[in-house]
Amino acid sequence: MAVSLTVNGRERMLDIDSDTPLLWVIRDELGLKGTKFGCGMGLCGACTVHLNGHPVRSCSTPVELADGGDVKTIEGLSQDGNLHPLQKAWVEHGVPQCGYCQSGQIMSAAHLLQHNDAPSRDDIVAALSGNLCRCGTYSRIVAAVESVVGDDAARPDREEA
Amino acid sequence: MSMNRRDFLKVTAGSSGGLVLSLSLPGCAGIQTGYDELDGSWTPDAWLELTTDDQVYFTLARVEMGQGTYTGLTTLIAEELGVTPASIKPRFAPAAPKYRNPLYNLQLTGGSTSLATSWQPLRVAGASARMMLIAAAASVWEISPTECRAVEGRVVHPNGRDNLAYGRLVELAAKQPVPKAPSLKPREEWKYIGKERGRLDAEAKSTGAPVYGIDVELDGMVYAVVSRPARYGARVKSYDDTAARQLPGVLDVFEIDRGVAVVADKYWRARKAQDALTIEWDNDGALDASSDQVFSSYHKAADEDPGESERSEGDFDDAQQGAERVLEASYEQPYLAHATLEPMNATAWYRDGAIDVWAPTQAPDLGRIAAARVTDLSPDEVTIHTTFLGGGFGRRLTNDYIEEAASVAYRIRKPVKLIWSREEDTRHDVYRPAMLHRMRASVSGDRLTGWHHQIVGPQILDWYVRNAAPAQYPWAPKFLYGTLGRVGLMAEGIATPKDHSAIEGAIEYPYRVPNLDIRHTHTDPGVPVSWWRSVGFSHNGFAVETFMDELAHEVDQDPYRFRRSLIDHEPRHLGVLDRVAQLAQWDSAALEGRARGVALFRSFGTYVAQVVEASVEFGEIRVHRVFCAVDCGQVVNPDIVRDQIEGGIIFGLTAALYGNITLEDGQVQQSNFHDYSLMRHDQRPEVVVDIIDSNESPTGVGEPGVPPVIPALGNALFALTGKRQRSLPLKATV
Repeated sequence: MAVSLTVNGRERMLDIDSDTPLLWVIRDELGLKGTKFGCGMGLCGACTVHLNGHPVRSCSTPVELADGGDVKTIEGLSQDGNLHPLQKAWVEHGVPQCGYCQSGQIMSAAHLLQHNDAPSRDDIVAALSGNLCRCGTYSRIVAAVESVVGDDAARPDREEA
Repeated sequence: MSMNRRDFLKVTAGSSGGLVLSLSLPGCAGIQTGYDELDGSWTPDAWLELTTDDQVYFTLARVEMGQGTYTGLTTLIAEELGVTPASIKPRFAPAAPKYRNPLYNLQLTGGSTSLATSWQPLRVAGASARMMLIAAAASVWEISPTECRAVEGRVVHPNGRDNLAYGRLVELAAKQPVPKAPSLKPREEWKYIGKERGRLDAEAKSTGAPVYGIDVELDGMVYAVVSRPARYGARVKSYDDTAARQLPGVLDVFEIDRGVAVVADKYWRARKAQDALTIEWDNDGALDASSDQVFSSYHKAADEDPGESERSEGDFDDAQQGAERVLEASYEQPYLAHATLEPMNATAWYRDGAIDVWAPTQAPDLGRIAAARVTDLSPDEVTIHTTFLGGGFGRRLTNDYIEEAASVAYRIRKPVKLIWSREEDTRHDVYRPAMLHRMRASVSGDRLTGWHHQIVGPQILDWYVRNAAPAQYPWAPKFLYGTLGRVGLMAEGIATPKDHSAIEGAIEYPYRVPNLDIRHTHTDPGVPVSWWRSVGFSHNGFAVETFMDELAHEVDQDPYRFRRSLIDHEPRHLGVLDRVAQLAQWDSAALEGRARGVALFRSFGTYVAQVVEASVEFGEIRVHRVFCAVDCGQVVNPDIVRDQIEGGIIFGLTAALYGNITLEDGQVQQSNFHDYSLMRHDQRPEVVVDIIDSNESPTGVGEPGVPPVIPALGNALFALTGKRQRSLPLKATV
């Protein structure tokens, strides 16, 4: 089927099997490899992207459900070449080990900060508990998110939302 | 194989008339080194390349899978070369003999050995290049090299004003004699080693930029999936691909050694076609065991065969006969999956009589063997391109996914990417073996007089040697691979190192006891097994440190003080044990409703003591805090030591709380993260890691955090409930 998506601000038209998970469209059709495949069942969160402002598991979202939608991936998080405050915090806190889950972790955290000015630690943990990290970087992830709480730059889409 | 200075760098006359440095290791061909006029680059050794435009490339021969080699090994080179770590560009090494791990004579990353085995050679490599650059500058200025200093990529003149960038010196440096005994910087002069610094790959990994195996993209690439038998060892009897072939995008369906491959233009189309396949399997000779049968076979083997003695001191039988009390316990541990978050995958392209493979592998030269085995190619015709690894934990030492990708590429003759689903990854893993431990101890008064440990289960090398043996003898023709595998087995301990995978951590029993007998009853139920983060230490740690806890309670002593009284002859053990007791405030009462357990364990040369504080809330085990003291000798990057130890703790707790691969009629019952759970954010304990300051040689930290946390949690639950759990995973109620 013909599908139209706005991905990281850019309009894309595709001809693709309608049941193809959004993940494989993002990775293989659009070439954005930062979004990862982990489980295919929405259990690990490695494939998390924002669809119309909501965090979704792209591995189990058929592309037909995203048709006409607005998609943001890890590649679209930094603006004008500047790292998103979460990405800076990830570097400062030395979060990534193997790094494979981190795009999904960051996308989940970015959504939280977009919608919650002052999340508590419990809020952060709750927002991220769908994202698995096999290397066990959880404490640094939470510390990195906490360090960004209150940073206006973490809410670039605030006015539009 | 030890690497001495003379073997490491040798100067020979090059064809260009200049001097060429060639690396010469025992049994290895030389490397192309020296100054390349066309490129304007100087390659002083197997690891470094310096260019006239001031770039420094470092070939990283130990893969980056989260454990931090990318940062840690680069730091060693940077320190001695005299440049900032961030200015170096690491490149992943191809498969080549010169990049082998000297401990194994194989190019593999595992065993927490990367830093320990690189500590000396990489610093020597960096120092040699630095001294040659200094000598080059000194010859320009016509002064003595001893008057010059190397500072951040420049050689500085004693007048403090003049300096020359490395890039301007490389051509001249290549002509300097290789220093016979390069002097390494003394500890006081280190700028990078031991200092708090982030990871060099952190920014890339926070923006989605790094290329993992699954991200490899080639022009005209197609996608493959493979249907494998549910029961290990089954073969394809017949299959019907009529429906599958009619689906859009399907390019081919064919049988390979390990199952039936489907190739399509898109990954999702390959998956859909796979669902449309009908395969009949020939289960003759296939695995048919269930988990219950595995353990009953272990108990039977233990009854019938006392096993080979692996360490014996005094006379345990005498001690047992003369003892007031003899305590016995058996511990059972299940199979465990690796569950790397990046599933197994590889991309392969066969063209012009050779095959290229891009893969996240821990053992590139074994990947060559795996690809050669299933094609008509020799290992020399296989090139392995290593990528970032989305977790390894030992899983990617086995190259079954490379074997499959090579099979498919050899037939399809197009670049092809093979991706395993999570279900396939879980069901076709090579598992941490299930193990049985039978323990006995003799006690007189409050004194431990004898320790008997019978380990029952398989050895990992039995499963691995078919690939490892040919990789060690690359000159051997392929028809000998099978023989080499068998010879490697038969000559174990002579031609190949003794396999310690079942007994490591048991034979090093560190506590003072006059009579000791440690045995291994070798029995293999036929379930494929492999190394899993901390390997034998993972199960022996649970057995030894749980039984120590049982003994402490038996003689009515505090578990910390009981251990302490038996280990005061081992200062590094004692150091971490005392430190963790302080950290956890062991002598103060635990919070209401919580209890603490302690464990002390050395693995991979690193000493770790941990205290776990746990409770049972709403019918679930809750781990609140983990305190950890670690002594890993000289620390290169304290930040990475802490994150590795904490990661190991999470990994160990995941095994202790959830890890359980079970078999029914030869089939693995688990498939994805709903039934093979990993610890999540909301289950994470607070972790406090304290590193002992040390001048000892550095030892690994990727694995040693894992073993002690499992018994420490079990011991905490005993303190909480008064009930001892002797099998894993641990339960909230027993």
